[in-house]
Amino acid sequence: MFGGTVVEAMALVLSGGGGERLSVLSAERAVSAVPFGGKYRIVDFVLSNCCHSGIEQVGLVTQHVPTSLHDHVGAGRPWDLDRKSRGLLILQPYQTRGQSGWYRGTADAIAQNWDAIEERRPERVIVLSGDHVYRMNYRALLQTHRDQRAELTLAVTRVAPDDSRRFGMVTIDRDGRLLNLIEKPERASTPYASMGIYVFEFEVLGELLRPRPVDLVLDVLRPMLQSGARAYVHEFSGYWEDVGTIGAYYRSSMELLAPDPRLVLHDSRWPILTRDEERPPVRVAASAAIDDSLVANGCRVAGTVRRSILFPGVTVEHGARIEDSVVMADSRIGRDARVERSILDKQVAVGASARIGTGEAPADPALEWLEGITLVGKDASIPDQTCIGRASVIGIGARPGDFASREIAPGTRTPNHSWFRELV
Amino acid sequence: MPRAALANRPPPGRRVTTSRYAFILAGGAGTRLCLLSERRAKPAVPFGGKYRIIDFTLSNCVNSGIFDVGVLTQYRPTSLNRHIGSGRPWDLDRTRGGIQILQPSLGAVNSDWYQGTADAIYRNLVHLRRRRVEQLLVLSGDHVYTMDYNELYEFHAASRALVTVAVTEVPESMTNQFGILTADASGRVIGFEEKPQLARSRLASMGVYLFDRDALIRWLMEDAERPGSSHDFGKDLLPVLVQRGEAVYAHHFRSYWQDVGTLDSYYDSNRALLSERPPIDLASHEWVIHTQSADRPPVRFENGSSIENSLIANGCRVGGQVTGSVLFPGVTVPRGAVVRDSIIMHETILGRGAVVDRAIVDKEVEIGEGAHVGAGDASTPNRACPQHLSSGLCVVGKGAHLPDGITIGRNARIGAYVTGAYFTSDVPAGGVVDGPESMH
Repeated sequence: MFGGTVVEAMALVLSGGGGERLSVLSAERAVSAVPFGGKYRIVDFVLSNCCHSGIEQVGLVTQHVPTSLHDHVGAGRPWDLDRKSRGLLILQPYQTRGQSGWYRGTADAIAQNWDAIEERRPERVIVLSGDHVYRMNYRALLQTHRDQRAELTLAVTRVAPDDSRRFGMVTIDRDGRLLNLIEKPERASTPYASMGIYVFEFEVLGELLRPRPVDLVLDVLRPMLQSGARAYVHEFSGYWEDVGTIGAYYRSSMELLAPDPRLVLHDSRWPILTRDEERPPVRVAASAAIDDSLVANGCRVAGTVRRSILFPGVTVEHGARIEDSVVMADSRIGRDARVERSILDKQVAVGASARIGTGEAPADPALEWLEGITLVGKDASIPDQTCIGRASVIGIGARPGDFASREIAPGTRTPNHSWFRELV
Repeated sequence: MPRAALANRPPPGRRVTTSRYAFILAGGAGTRLCLLSERRAKPAVPFGGKYRIIDFTLSNCVNSGIFDVGVLTQYRPTSLNRHIGSGRPWDLDRTRGGIQILQPSLGAVNSDWYQGTADAIYRNLVHLRRRRVEQLLVLSGDHVYTMDYNELYEFHAASRALVTVAVTEVPESMTNQFGILTADASGRVIGFEEKPQLARSRLASMGVYLFDRDALIRWLMEDAERPGSSHDFGKDLLPVLVQRGEAVYAHHFRSYWQDVGTLDSYYDSNRALLSERPPIDLASHEWVIHTQSADRPPVRFENGSSIENSLIANGCRVGGQVTGSVLFPGVTVPRGAVVRDSIIMHETILGRGAVVDRAIVDKEVEIGEGAHVGAGDASTPNRACPQHLSSGLCVVGKGAHLPDGITIGRNARIGAYVTGAYFTSDVPAGGVVDGPESMH
């Protein structure tokens, strides 16, 4: 107990996922660390929710290329999580004398860190995903949990019937008691989708983790329901999005540009907290034209920007044109270049008169996941006058040698490169 | 060797490590900045779309490797204290060293309000007692410039100066506003005149001094006793030192330096940041200007917005027309509103169809629908302060509420926190609307 207050809840933010889910955007960083919304990282939304909900104990569970995430989160200062006691705890996989401890699944990740969680003596554990974009007051969730005297409370949100195959769908009784959870059904008899947000009674979860389960849903939640545990749902009606696919990431980004976006970034009572970039104000030249866009500090715009999001430090040179795109920090769009319906990672250099995202997307089912969006990996350099066809994926660190000609056909994929290959 | 130096000699056998310490004078009232510094010290006046004036000096310190700083405050320090906080944005929240606010106090020997710049340092000499410094840097928190103080230290050591004064070249027409130095080829100062009518040189003191510690202590003690002294570095101390032939040297600083002392120079130096090659590169990665940043989303450019040649900070929403202007965080310019050649500070909101032309608008101002700030011709200077407000600029104080449809002529001054009730009619050119008296 610290300062006379009981630690009610400790949040565990699952941020271990990455790999191919967001293609080149998450190849070298956790999904949680992918930039979003013009200056944030995806994990900022959950950490800001914790901060504004009065949750001062946060464990960040990391596994997939966590460097970028660790770098961003640091000691947790922007979210007031840099505390003498409590505060932020990074829970990474570790080895013991007996075994190698890669996390085999969500439940395993928590089980392996149970000692560290136990030390903080929370009454409850809130399991969150670091890959979701939403603003939610967890106080209300905890209130539901207490009111129901639940052992487990699951946050749910209503989704359209067509979307049920993307979610774990939840059936409940009239009192909000959780009856069943079906993973990604083709058709569901219920509008409630699991948000992947769970409140557990600390003692209950501790017991359930003893047999070393792997997956939180399959090996913990299901058996709980079968044994008739007190499991309830808490309905959340605000904006919530899992941005773990390119399509969802792109759509959620573009939705921020609506006149009244569902995800409010401007609310001074609930600011989205992030690491400060220390950049000067946006510099808009006389030749610039900017419409329906979010442009962050440190950008310099001399060209045209429409329906796009520019992260800090992006330079748009004279005559360049960016439409329906997301351009991450410190990228440079050269003179008269054109970027359409693309996501450019950080530090991409687009040469003069180059074009990105031109032509028609090929009708190839293997490219469906791209939804016609063109991706350019971090630190790639697109030579002058080169055209990159729509639905191409340009690898991390691409260099002129990766481009066989000035016309890159739609749907082309170029390899990722290590930054240090040029040194040897 | 003076006794003070003996007392501070490190014990024998120990490596001599010296550190650096800077005093920043931040107590000035900045009266010529009119409304902008009426309720805040001049160093706390917002500048450049997201900074405060003192950010430049604080950033110079840390970028030069000086992480031990005392800030001397006196005039309305609340805004400044809030901005500096624990010094975190400048990495000055340190276990050893860091930033310390040195306000006037009672209780110690000689404690009182600071009488002049030299007096302010004199009353804070106690802070040198435990610091192992050989030189002492004295800076002003009022100036906009980027300077590596290491050059000053090197010059100081090379010329064996007891005090080095950083100087900058000013136009002949402005020499009567500065302390003007004449120096020989080696940089040794042979003449010093405070605000001369006829100057013999164009080298102006920047208010940046590097003193030999023991010499400074000696001189300040002398000055404190000198009858008739106003205890100011420029007016009192330096002329005496130069006259006596002490080792006073001038270090010529050749980059941009601006004392944003007047409304016109404030306006011009903000607008200079908009030029093709701005005098200060705010985007430099080598010399970052650190400041307290608010948590604000990126700038939102709405459909139909038209922006040219402007600096616009995070948190702004722009649906109207902005040209040649600097917008601080959180300013709203809705569709149909126009901002031309103006400086608009945090959280100010324009109504639909409002026009702001050549104005400096302080924080949290509300400009009513269809209101027009800066209308008509500029030939009538301000009624209350013609000497500061005659070039056509309008100034609107913090938190003012301008009613819908009102027209405000050029050179007008609208006080802080005025409301609709303060306006009986449109405000003519050069007009004055005073706000409520400040509570403190």
